[in-house]
Amino acid sequence: MNTWRKSGSRGQEDAMDREISHHIAELTEVYVAQGMSREEALRRAHLEFGGSEQVKQTIREVHASAFIETVLFNLRAATRFLRKSPSFSLIIIFTLALGIGANSAVFSAIDAVVLRPLPYPDGNQLVALSQFDTQGRDANHFVAPIRLEDWNRMNSTFTAISGYYLDDISETSGPFAEKITEALVAPRFFDVMGVWPALGRAFTHDEMRYGGPRAVILSHRYWLSRFHGDPNAVGSRIRIDDKDYPVVGIMPASFQFPNADADLWEPSPMDAPFEVNRNLTWFNVIGRMKPGVKLHQAAADLATVQAKLGKQFPHPDAELGINSESLKQLTVGTTPSSLWLLYSAVSLLLLIACSNIAALLLARTAEREHEVSVRYSLGASRRSIVLQLLTEVFVLALLGSLAGLAVAAISVRGFQLLSKTLPRAGEISLNWTIVLYTLLAALVTTFLCGLVPALRGTRKSLAHSLASTSRTQVSTRNPVQWFLVGIQVTLAVTLLLGAGLLLRSMQQLGRVNAGFDAANVLTFQVSGSWAETTDMKNVIQRINRTIDTLRTIPGVQAASTAAMLPGVSSKYQMEFKIDGNLDPGNRILADNRLVSYGYFETMLIPMLAGGPCQRTSTTTDVVVNRSFASRYFHGNSPVGHSLVDAAGNPYIGNAIIRGIVGDAREDGLDTQPAPTVYFCFSAPNPFPNYLVRTQGDPMAMAQTIRQKLHEIEPGRSVYALMPLQQHLDDASTENRLRTRLLTLFAATAVTLACIGLYGTLSYLARLRQREVGVRLALGAMRGQIAGKFLSQGLRVALAGCAAGLMLGFALSRFLKGMLYGITALDPLTYAGVVCLVIGVATLASLLPALRAARLEPVRVLREQ
Amino acid sequence: MTPLEKTDLLQGTLDLLILKVVALGPIHGYGISQRIRQISQEVLQVQQGSLYPALHRLEKRNWLLADWGESDNGREAKFYRLSALGRKQLAAEEQTWARLSSAVALILQTAE
Repeated sequence: MNTWRKSGSRGQEDAMDREISHHIAELTEVYVAQGMSREEALRRAHLEFGGSEQVKQTIREVHASAFIETVLFNLRAATRFLRKSPSFSLIIIFTLALGIGANSAVFSAIDAVVLRPLPYPDGNQLVALSQFDTQGRDANHFVAPIRLEDWNRMNSTFTAISGYYLDDISETSGPFAEKITEALVAPRFFDVMGVWPALGRAFTHDEMRYGGPRAVILSHRYWLSRFHGDPNAVGSRIRIDDKDYPVVGIMPASFQFPNADADLWEPSPMDAPFEVNRNLTWFNVIGRMKPGVKLHQAAADLATVQAKLGKQFPHPDAELGINSESLKQLTVGTTPSSLWLLYSAVSLLLLIACSNIAALLLARTAEREHEVSVRYSLGASRRSIVLQLLTEVFVLALLGSLAGLAVAAISVRGFQLLSKTLPRAGEISLNWTIVLYTLLAALVTTFLCGLVPALRGTRKSLAHSLASTSRTQVSTRNPVQWFLVGIQVTLAVTLLLGAGLLLRSMQQLGRVNAGFDAANVLTFQVSGSWAETTDMKNVIQRINRTIDTLRTIPGVQAASTAAMLPGVSSKYQMEFKIDGNLDPGNRILADNRLVSYGYFETMLIPMLAGGPCQRTSTTTDVVVNRSFASRYFHGNSPVGHSLVDAAGNPYIGNAIIRGIVGDAREDGLDTQPAPTVYFCFSAPNPFPNYLVRTQGDPMAMAQTIRQKLHEIEPGRSVYALMPLQQHLDDASTENRLRTRLLTLFAATAVTLACIGLYGTLSYLARLRQREVGVRLALGAMRGQIAGKFLSQGLRVALAGCAAGLMLGFALSRFLKGMLYGITALDPLTYAGVVCLVIGVATLASLLPALRAARLEPVRVLREQ
Repeated sequence: MTPLEKTDLLQGTLDLLILKVVALGPIHGYGISQRIRQISQEVLQVQQGSLYPALHRLEKRNWLLADWGESDNGREAKFYRLSALGRKQLAAEEQTWARLSSAVALILQTAE
């Protein structure tokens, strides 16, 4: 029973010692009186008392078992009490189930996305590195292989630095070509990730050299689908495009990097003759920091490395910087801030639910005053009564949290369904952390809901109420109850304000003129490989032939390709010289997009002057948008002028502006159109996005298009077939989700606050029946009575509303970056919230107020 | 008279004795053991190893209330007194004891 001793108060031990020494002192006196020396008497006394440590131990056991008995007793009493009023208990359990469940659900997402490290050993040491043009002329963040090797060799803070890029390829061993995604990886890739094949081996040194033996490692998923999990797959071969590749390893199922779509990994040698060019960039770079090294230290180290490279290779390295970001940060993006927003919302909701329940319990304990005073008179201590009242709440909270776990489990399934569009959503799961968190929530809830009612219900002054028989002794002022209602209204208004601002932003976003028409546009890709780019002429011919074929299909109005889909963010900025002139005070910066002929026709972006991209156009033909023309040409026509890359990239020649198109929100519907240069180029990569404008429902054309393309390109697969609108929706999933959820939470909050207002007012009206009866008997008007109750409810609602607006205003800065087209002080939102809250508060108060006024005075007075 | 061995004391009887003694007025642990010995004319000698755990158990059950005070000879001591709940319990246990002892007596007489 050592636990008791540790947790028990020091006073307990001390009191025990004092009690025993008193006994021994008394015994000693007896022996002294019998004529013994004091020393002898003390010895005898100790002897007679027996082992005092043993006695103390027995007493401790009494206390410990009494503690357990008390707990069990309280639990039994609580269950008995709760069973006596099942509807009351069920309401509380249900409220807590929703409150705690929503809280646990959002917490499970936070745990998986924000708190847990990436699912690699020491995942927090992984860093994503990219290069950037310090002059801001070029937003390309890929890294040249030779520079990657320099970084890896010269740094002192990384265990290893590696890189990868993705390629789409066709697996051609079956009757139909199957598109698969491969990650081409630089040496040391698996060392950086800290994960190695579960079966077979990693790539050898030879396989990592240019011209070395071929090898691939399969993902667990692809191994299951292609080889049905046969361990003999290692050592067999698969056919990719027109070559055979030996399979040397299978990765574990948990390894999904760079993404869950990766089917296989293949070496990308760093010593190819074409890789000495420092301007050729294509690697995404990842590094593993040495144990204990922090991100800022690594960044400082890399800055030194790049400075050295800048001296050695003034062009281009002197004008490059290194951006380092934790891989986790890169993976989760803005999702954490959305999740924290939702978490604050559900926590506020839980607080509202708690104060609601606290008010219910207050009313309840007021009715139990008699019971409490009886217990006092039977010698119970306040502590034991408070403990018993808290145990009742704890049982409710525990049952509520168990039901809440079920709510959380359902929500977790919902989160997982979003794994296509929300980062790490697939990792969200119901695990022991969540269960523990939920139980902790039950404990916290117990105190939030139960402490105030328990303390108020057991005030010593109540002990006297046993003597007074009056049933109307209960205080009718109840400031605590009104305070709780005020809190509920305050928090509900805060939530409502947040939801209102997000809703208004969404509404504003919906009104935006995109500048292009996404309806009835089908998008897809056709497999191709970077390997084809050795013969660019051939790639361009193939893609143009595909576009031409698409245009001949009946029902297709226009077809084109684009490197990036319109409306999907791809910040890619470049600096230009106009007609060879560079004016440092007036830099020509523009987004750029690579599009084929037919693009503006497909997207219904209007031509304002000049002509669109032609089938015969090359990258030296460009079209600019209206913003570009008006900002950099000040009303003069840009058509015919030339543009050159200011950074001097030799692959972009002297481009001639052929036309002007209207502004379109290419970079996302929530982003103002920036000055944009469209390069006419139908083959920006071997697998560009095809955009097809159809007469009707785009998906209805999917099968026809697949068939037609199979006829002309039997060795290639068509994939990612979906309407453009779907892409746009996916891009705003997070935004829509957080707006909808916050609205749902706010609506729940308002409902709860109204129930609180209604309940409190009804309760008070009941307590004051006698007073009302007397007043009515003395000739008060019913309208006056109703008005009195109504104004009491409204006063609290107004005070809560004012406090809520202030709190909401203070918190609205957390919404920065999530708002569109309005400020955090949007008057319409504020006015709407106030109207809504006052409206529903009036309704909630009116009912009990009218009921109170409809009293029959004679009946009430007789009853009381 | 010869004292009884402590095992001779019936289970539960000690509680009854303590409650009865405490019912006479606030009293400390040492006093209780002395009082039981005196009243029983030295037949019942309560071991401290049983007395104190019993006192604490009764206190935990809210049958006894305890306060610190000064004993007759000026020493600090823990005084026990009966709570309302304890008074009820005493009455109930006295009744049980009476029924039990008369039942036992009845059996002994009949068997003679």
